[in-house]
Amino acid sequence: MQALGSKNFAYLLIAPAVLILIITSLYPAVFSFILSFFNWNWGIRFDFIGLGNYAELFRSAEFWQVLYQTFFFAVVATALELALGLALAVVVDRLKFGQSIIRTLLLTPLMVSGIIVALMSKIALDPMLGIVNYALTTLGLPPSPFFGATSTAMPTVIMVDAWWQTAFVFIIVLAGLQSLPQEPIEAARVDGASGWQTFLRVKLPMLRPVLFTILIFRTIDTLKVFDIIFGTTGGGPQIATEVMQTLAYRKAFSFLQMSESMTGMVIFSVIVLAICLIYLRLEERLELD
Amino acid sequence: MLVQRRDQLEGLLAYLISLAAILLTLFPIIWLLSVALKSQRDAFAMPPKLIFQPIADHFLSLLERPGFVEAFLNSVLVTVIGVSIAIVIAIFASYGIHRFHFRGKKLFGLWLLLAYMLPEFLFVIPMYVLYQRIGLYDTHLGLALVYQVHSLPFAVWLIRSFFKEVPRELDDASRIDGCGQLGTLRHVYIPLAAPGIAATAILTAIWIWNELTIALSLSFSEAQTITVAVASFRGYTSINWGAMSAASIVAILPMLLFAVFAQKYIVKGLTLGSLKG
Repeated sequence: MQALGSKNFAYLLIAPAVLILIITSLYPAVFSFILSFFNWNWGIRFDFIGLGNYAELFRSAEFWQVLYQTFFFAVVATALELALGLALAVVVDRLKFGQSIIRTLLLTPLMVSGIIVALMSKIALDPMLGIVNYALTTLGLPPSPFFGATSTAMPTVIMVDAWWQTAFVFIIVLAGLQSLPQEPIEAARVDGASGWQTFLRVKLPMLRPVLFTILIFRTIDTLKVFDIIFGTTGGGPQIATEVMQTLAYRKAFSFLQMSESMTGMVIFSVIVLAICLIYLRLEERLELD
Repeated sequence: MLVQRRDQLEGLLAYLISLAAILLTLFPIIWLLSVALKSQRDAFAMPPKLIFQPIADHFLSLLERPGFVEAFLNSVLVTVIGVSIAIVIAIFASYGIHRFHFRGKKLFGLWLLLAYMLPEFLFVIPMYVLYQRIGLYDTHLGLALVYQVHSLPFAVWLIRSFFKEVPRELDDASRIDGCGQLGTLRHVYIPLAAPGIAATAILTAIWIWNELTIALSLSFSEAQTITVAVASFRGYTSINWGAMSAASIVAILPMLLFAVFAQKYIVKGLTLGSLKG
């Protein structure tokens, strides 16, 4: 049903988008890749050093620690947000009255910028003057240094991210639950399955594609974390909460080590895109069976 | 009887858990508001003061803070430009993907997805270099343009899934009526997908308004956005909690109004994209 020449028309339709993609993604990716073989510190000198930047990164203990911490943050935060969001969606789905107002209220964190979430948690979690430590001591529990100690800083930023992004999981799973076909659920109930069994055996498998989409988005998003950490610990204490993007920022804007910053990002982008492609492959395979 | 009892108990428990979740969600924001309204002494009081004399000083001090009002207006401008570019270009691209078969379509889709996933610091430095050359550094248009790397794929993905909902018969009918390809887009797809396009625009606006990473690197003073202005309170936070909280509240407010008045669209946009893909 396509008219003659409609193929060219289609190219015309996507041309502006392609142009924008070339400027904002293809050019920077190529630029960064090429610069990763040079030594450049914001000045006019570019010295070709081959794999020098890569060799230096792979040799540095800091790089490996930061890469590990980035994955630690991403895996724990994603798992926590998925678990909490799923549980909350199941609970709210049961409510008979007031569901829409409750949903609106629970959605609020998604409207708040990451930097504000960071500053907000700094105020509430201040070791000396924060309300949370006051509440803990009042209840007879030991206060926590939160962002202030190497051992507690990482769990604290993960907790803050969970406060911020659990709503994303919640809202999508809730909509997913409410758009499930009713027949299999009714059938399970007629067969005498309990609410819990119905959820585990019928609803959860049907939610799988939705959960998978959420998993991709949360994984990539948490790997790229910046605002939450920049606004709270700035990567500290020492480098206990440093992640790939805060490291790239620090190297480029504080130490002016541009090519090192970009080399780190080139490696990181390859990892992120690889994870993305693996997920897509898995998704295809899942859909086939 | 027993089953009914258990059902009621579970229902009650569901309300209690929801209530706890709401408290946990709203408390930090309410606390932030209270700190913004407290005098320095009340803010640092131990035990924390729940009842206090609210003052507007911190909000008023923002008016005198160099660049703060400008940053708010900059964000409005960058958001409007960024959303406009994303929506217009995405409408054409989505129509192209939805309605036509062409070579490289799969590649185009993959490119959109991968661009969306790129970590910010991979592209901000190359963009910085380019912008210094062509004079787009620290400009509203420059920021709005870089935001497309995220906003455009997002908008294409969403608008395409809304176009999929348009019944095929209407498309055919408009063609029989003599509408050209652009006519069908204008008279059938855009009107029918209008609520979805609005949802996409709102979600894109929220993302751009709240973005920090790119704005921090590609704006300095002329185009400094509200998130960068708020971030500048970081560092001496222990001294100036009041002004920092007031600035945060001012930055949140437009988005909270969105949440209240456009909730239907926000939920529609967030969910349709991931349910139907």
